[in-house]
Amino acid sequence: MTEIRSRVLLAGLTAVLIGIALINMVVDRRALQEGGRELSWWSGLVLDVAVPLQKAIAMPLTMARDGWGEYVALVGVRRENGDLRDELAVARDENLQLREALVASGRLERIAAMREGFDIPMLPAELVGLDASSWFRSVLLDRGRHHGVHAGMPLVCEDGLVGLVTATSRKAARGMLLLDRQSAVGAMVQRSRTRGIVRGTGDGLVFEFEGRETDVAPGDLLITSGLGGVFPKGLRIGAITTVQEGGTPLMREARVEPAVDFGRLEQVFVMLRRGATMDLLYATEGGDLNEEDLAPGDDS
Amino acid sequence: MKRIVGVVSLVLLAPILQGALAPYLPTAFRPDLTLLVVLGIALYWRNTGTGLVFATLCGFVVDLLSGGLLGQHALLSVLVFAGSRALSVQVNLVGAFPRMLFVVALTAVHAFVVAGLTAFFTPDAGFGVPPLHTLGPLLFANAVVSPAVIAAVAVCVAWIGGDETPRRLLRLQTRSWVS
Repeated sequence: MTEIRSRVLLAGLTAVLIGIALINMVVDRRALQEGGRELSWWSGLVLDVAVPLQKAIAMPLTMARDGWGEYVALVGVRRENGDLRDELAVARDENLQLREALVASGRLERIAAMREGFDIPMLPAELVGLDASSWFRSVLLDRGRHHGVHAGMPLVCEDGLVGLVTATSRKAARGMLLLDRQSAVGAMVQRSRTRGIVRGTGDGLVFEFEGRETDVAPGDLLITSGLGGVFPKGLRIGAITTVQEGGTPLMREARVEPAVDFGRLEQVFVMLRRGATMDLLYATEGGDLNEEDLAPGDDS
Repeated sequence: MKRIVGVVSLVLLAPILQGALAPYLPTAFRPDLTLLVVLGIALYWRNTGTGLVFATLCGFVVDLLSGGLLGQHALLSVLVFAGSRALSVQVNLVGAFPRMLFVVALTAVHAFVVAGLTAFFTPDAGFGVPPLHTLGPLLFANAVVSPAVIAAVAVCVAWIGGDETPRRLLRLQTRSWVS
């Protein structure tokens, strides 16, 4: 009799726990669709505790890795330096030519005019840990609501777009990388202006687009299109490596080499703006720039 | 106090450790420490009810430190705990080699369930069957570290339990898995 009672109680407990988990998933899905979530105090506490602990665990490993990188693995740096200088010279030359072409077409002036009011404050954040699950691609950052970081803000680094802040606690934030399967970013080919969506595949990126095969070619640079309003226009995403043969004009795919080396990512910048429209990002008179959102100590 | 500290450490440490060590390990060869800790709890925690609750909490911590939906890993932890607990009295899970084989099977099933749940709740992501070049190294990594992680959990459970001896796995047990 006792055993039957135990079994019933255990089955009930299992059902309750499964129910709680499922309800959480549904609620969380809805929150994500609305642009992310600010974590409750108890769940935020886990993030706030995890950040210093992960920093402490990673410190000796980082020191060992940096020591190796700065002292032992310098063989060949002189030659690499020479190669990089050559590449820089070529890139400068290309840059000059492109600028000339833009000036000739009158676009540079228009772009300059459009960018006059472009002012997105950026906050540097340190990456203290990667995803605790093997199946998702997210990062834990050491900045949170206290520093003005909120869900829905883009993450960038000097190489290009990194991802999006999806959850925040008081002193920490979690960001979803572009590589994550749940990630989808409006993008366009810089050369042909073909628009599409860049999706994460877990270990790479795929560009889904509509159009002719000639619109997208290996080597083409992909930038954010600005559509959707989450990311500002013009952030580098990556370069096309291969375009899938066949397919229909309505749905083609191309593999993308990310501009950011996600394996070596250590620091990112949080763009302290989130908004549904480009007007918010490209405000001209400052009317849309709400500095209250940026004030440290804002825990709302 | 010792019990609380022990349980909190057990539940928090695996996901935090995994997140902290991940940048230093090759992506494909990052063992799923939380999965192994939940398996360890399923094998060694004496009381099924509290073990189930701790396993679920462990899953919730992973959810908070992961990009998945909140509740996804908690749900998986419940399933892993219940499945492993039930199977541990049906199959021989004593010794490193049987456990490694079990971990390989468990990791594969876990991967497909994660993919299925993600596809169900995030239809845009599609049903991403984990490719072999991703799954293979993970199976290997989990199998290799599983004896050490499970042994560590067993020691931790014994320390938390104090006078109460942890659940002892026998080669032949009764069919009941309720203690």
